[in-house]
Amino acid sequence: MSVVDSPATRRPRDPGGPRQNRVPGHVAPRRRKRNSGLVPWALAVPALVLIAALLGYPLVRMLVLSFQNMRLRELISGRTPPWVGFDQYTRVLTDEVFWAVVGRTVAFTVVSVLISVIGGLSIALLMRRVTRGVRLFMVIAMMFVWALPQLVAAQIFRWMTDSDFGVVNYLIDKLPGVNYQNHSWFVNPWQGWSVITALVVWAGIPFLAITLNAGLTQVPKELLEAATVDGATPWQSLRNIILPILKPLITIVTTLSVIWNFGLFTQAWVLRDGHPEPQFQTLATYSYTQAFGQARYSLGSAIAVITVLLMLGVMIFYIRQMFRIGEVD
Amino acid sequence: MTTITKPPATKTSSAGRRPDEKRDLKIATGMSHVALVAWAVITAGPLLWVLLASFKSNTEIFLGKPFALPNQFSFDTYINAWSDAHIGRYFLNSVFVVLISTAGTMLFGAMAAYVLARYKFPGNRAIYYLFVSGLAFPTFMALAPLFYILKGLGLLGSFTGLILVYIAYSLPFTIFFLAAFFKSLPYEIEEAATVDGASHVRKFFQIMMPMARSGLVSITIFNIVGQWNQYLLPVVIMSGPGADQKLLLTQGIAQISVSAGYQAEWSTLFAALVLTILPMIIVYAIFQRQIQAGLTAGAVK
Repeated sequence: MSVVDSPATRRPRDPGGPRQNRVPGHVAPRRRKRNSGLVPWALAVPALVLIAALLGYPLVRMLVLSFQNMRLRELISGRTPPWVGFDQYTRVLTDEVFWAVVGRTVAFTVVSVLISVIGGLSIALLMRRVTRGVRLFMVIAMMFVWALPQLVAAQIFRWMTDSDFGVVNYLIDKLPGVNYQNHSWFVNPWQGWSVITALVVWAGIPFLAITLNAGLTQVPKELLEAATVDGATPWQSLRNIILPILKPLITIVTTLSVIWNFGLFTQAWVLRDGHPEPQFQTLATYSYTQAFGQARYSLGSAIAVITVLLMLGVMIFYIRQMFRIGEVD
Repeated sequence: MTTITKPPATKTSSAGRRPDEKRDLKIATGMSHVALVAWAVITAGPLLWVLLASFKSNTEIFLGKPFALPNQFSFDTYINAWSDAHIGRYFLNSVFVVLISTAGTMLFGAMAAYVLARYKFPGNRAIYYLFVSGLAFPTFMALAPLFYILKGLGLLGSFTGLILVYIAYSLPFTIFFLAAFFKSLPYEIEEAATVDGASHVRKFFQIMMPMARSGLVSITIFNIVGQWNQYLLPVVIMSGPGADQKLLLTQGIAQISVSAGYQAEWSTLFAALVLTILPMIIVYAIFQRQIQAGLTAGAVK
């Protein structure tokens, strides 16, 4: 607990200090007097309704579906699918293929997030050292990549790594003594995953670099100058000044990157032409192909539920921290 | 006395170190430039390659000289893409949907974030966490149930349905970000307005919204980008009878590339790819400064 609390100074608000005093008695009349209670509610209602109906309810439905056995027959006839309890879950969890997919997705997430965050941070730091013009150019170039729809970025990479006409093969082939004509990048899973990782990192770094660069502007210059005068090496000022100040921001962007990359779908889907081979399945594509490709809707739901539980299990600490940073008064 | 004796000492030490340090700094700056140029090539390279390919004819693309300039710069491929491949219609569909849903997201999101950040009422935290926990769920999870819900409401294959879904899926991040931003704003002005008898609604629109402008602008851009990029949601929602007139740009692109193997007009595809970036160029041109300044203002302070 104390660790989670430390990053920000929000003690007064925390375990409901002042609120607690008000709650036990008669809440409603008092609230109305003080804040004319209905207006705040009215302002929040549209957002609440939309999220509850289109995000909350589907999630609950999916949870229910994962305990049933919905197949094509039930889908067409509209009958309520039979209740099967935890059958779908035992089926998924005892399946070796599923665990292979889990391992692959986790490995991909760890590698891609590490590269993206370290790369993004380095670029943000480098950008502080160059002239304004260069910095502006960099920001604009990265903005374009950030704004590129995932689908479009994936299409571009698909074409660049095309075995016959891809520009990557063309360039590698130019190296002396290397024959990369008609080289196919997706025969070997390691190579295929490097392409996917390269795509995700390429598309992910701009957001990280731009955000962290903006965060770096908040590091007081005097502090860094003072440290330099006192003989601190650049490495020391990075470790002891810049990183602690950036920590909340790094936590947020890293957590977001993990959530996004763990749900990798479009990139793998497009690069494999909508038919990912078993060695290119991630949890998202696996759940989708089971549900829609094989018409095992309940199994797909169970996989999706397990995916979220896995992610929450690993990330809960960071997600909590991220939310709390967002709560800073 | 001590104050007088000290300065020379530091001066000599720093003077002794200076040339060395300067050289180090120069090397470091030089290295940073080299590294950044390399990164710039990696970043911009693929985009430039697409731009180049979009002006080429189909045969030129398959000629095996990816960096050769096209024979002639004509906009034929773009005209083809715009009308023959229906990219024009899909483009306008996308613009329409994103405009309305971003506006809706900002309005509802700002209202909810304002309330959560500035009012104390029982359940405040619970609602905040409810909103924000939406961030943690990957979109694909809710696809199948979403399909049935929209089908049940008769909103499948309609812009209304898609816009509502876009808004719902953009709200968690918007509220998360804006709530932090609203909290960082000073309370005094709002209090003064209350004393002067301003209503809640008026305070919100005339005081808080203008004060939060930089945050609103950056999160607006974030939402425009995010919604423009959607692919999976429209694929699921824009289905059913009559939906083929209402496809979005990303779907149109997928259609070109999936439908027809090597017989397809690939130059058309590249032209369409370039067209997807176009609106973003306009958005950035307008908001470049705010994007940089505002993106972290709420989170870091």
